Amino acid sequence: MTVQQVLFIVISLVVLGAALFVVTTRNLFRAALMMMLAFFGIAGLFVLLEIGLFAVAQVLIYIGAISILVIFAVMLTRGMQGMVPRNSQAIGAAVTAAIIFAVLLLILGPLRVTIDLARWPVISLFAGNASPREVGGIAWTPADRAIPPVPETYIADFGRALVDLNQYLLPFLLIAFLVDVVLAGAIFIARQRRPAEVIEERRLRAEEDAEEAEAMRRASASPALPEGAVASAVDH
Amino acid sequence: MQNVLNGIPLWWYLVVSSALFCIGLYGTLARKNAIALLMGVELMLNAANINLLAFWRYLAPDTAGGLAFAAFVLVVAAAEAAVGLALVISVYRTTRSIDPETLDQMKL
Repeated sequence: MTVQQVLFIVISLVVLGAALFVVTTRNLFRAALMMMLAFFGIAGLFVLLEIGLFAVAQVLIYIGAISILVIFAVMLTRGMQGMVPRNSQAIGAAVTAAIIFAVLLLILGPLRVTIDLARWPVISLFAGNASPREVGGIAWTPADRAIPPVPETYIADFGRALVDLNQYLLPFLLIAFLVDVVLAGAIFIARQRRPAEVIEERRLRAEEDAEEAEAMRRASASPALPEGAVASAVDH
Repeated sequence: MQNVLNGIPLWWYLVVSSALFCIGLYGTLARKNAIALLMGVELMLNAANINLLAFWRYLAPDTAGGLAFAAFVLVVAAAEAAVGLALVISVYRTTRSIDPETLDQMKL
C-alpha cells in the first residue's frame, strides 16, 4: 500500500464518521463542530487529488464562513437544543438513503453494472450514437493510459475560463448576481425589526383575527337559528 | 476502471462521495431541527463537489470545466446557507420553534 492509499482510507473514515455523527447527535453545537471536522477531511481529499486551490477554498469558505454561520444560528436558537433528533419519518429516510447508496455502489463501484443505453427502447433514440468520450467535446483520459499531471498554470487557466465569453463568463456573472441578491435578501429576512413595527403588526393581526372570528360566528349562527337567537348571541 | 492516481483508483472517491451523499440525505430527511437539516444539505453539496473534482482530475485535468462547476457549487452552498439560516432565525423569532414538522402555517 502506498502512503496516499493509507491517507485516503484514514481521511475518508474520518469524514464519514464525522458525517454520521452530524446526522445522529442530539447536541446541535457538537454536530456543527463535527461538520467542521468533516469539511476539513474533505479538504484533505482535495489535497490528495492535487487540487490545492480547492483545498484552500474549502477551508476558507466551508470551515471559515459556513460553519461559523451555522454555529451562530445554533446559538441564536438556544431553546431548541437537546430535543429528540429524529422525526417520525426517520425509518423511511434511512431506508431511502440505504437504497440510494446501494444503487450508487452498483453503478460506480468495482463490480460495476454497466447500463447500455443504446439497448433501451426510448432512450436509445437520444443516446444511441454518442459514445461517452464525445460527450461535451472533452477528450477524456483513456482508461489504459497514465493520468496526466495537473498543468502548472491550472489556476490561471481556471481564472481565464471564468471570464472567457466562450466558456463560463455568463454563469460567472449570474452567480455573482445571485450572491448579491442572496446577501441582501438574507439581511432583509433576518433583520431585527423595531419594536414599534412589531407592536403595530400585532395590533393589525389581532384585529384581523377578531374580524375573522366574528365573521365565522355569524356564518355558523345565521342559517340554523331564528332571528331572535342571533340577536341574543350578538348581544352576548 | 483502470484509472489510478498515486495508487488510488477513481472509484474509491466515488464510493466515499456517494456514502457522504447518502448520510447527508438521511440527515436532511430525518432531522427534527431546521439547522440540522441545513447541515445535511451542506454534506450533500460537499459530496457532489468531491465527485466533480475527482472526475475532473482523473478524466480531464487539462480543461477548466470541473473546477468551474465545483466553484459554482461552492458559491451556491454559501448562498444557501446564508438564506436558510436567516429564514431559520426569522421563523424562530416569530414562532419560538424550528421543528419543520410544526411549521404548517402556510398549509391550506
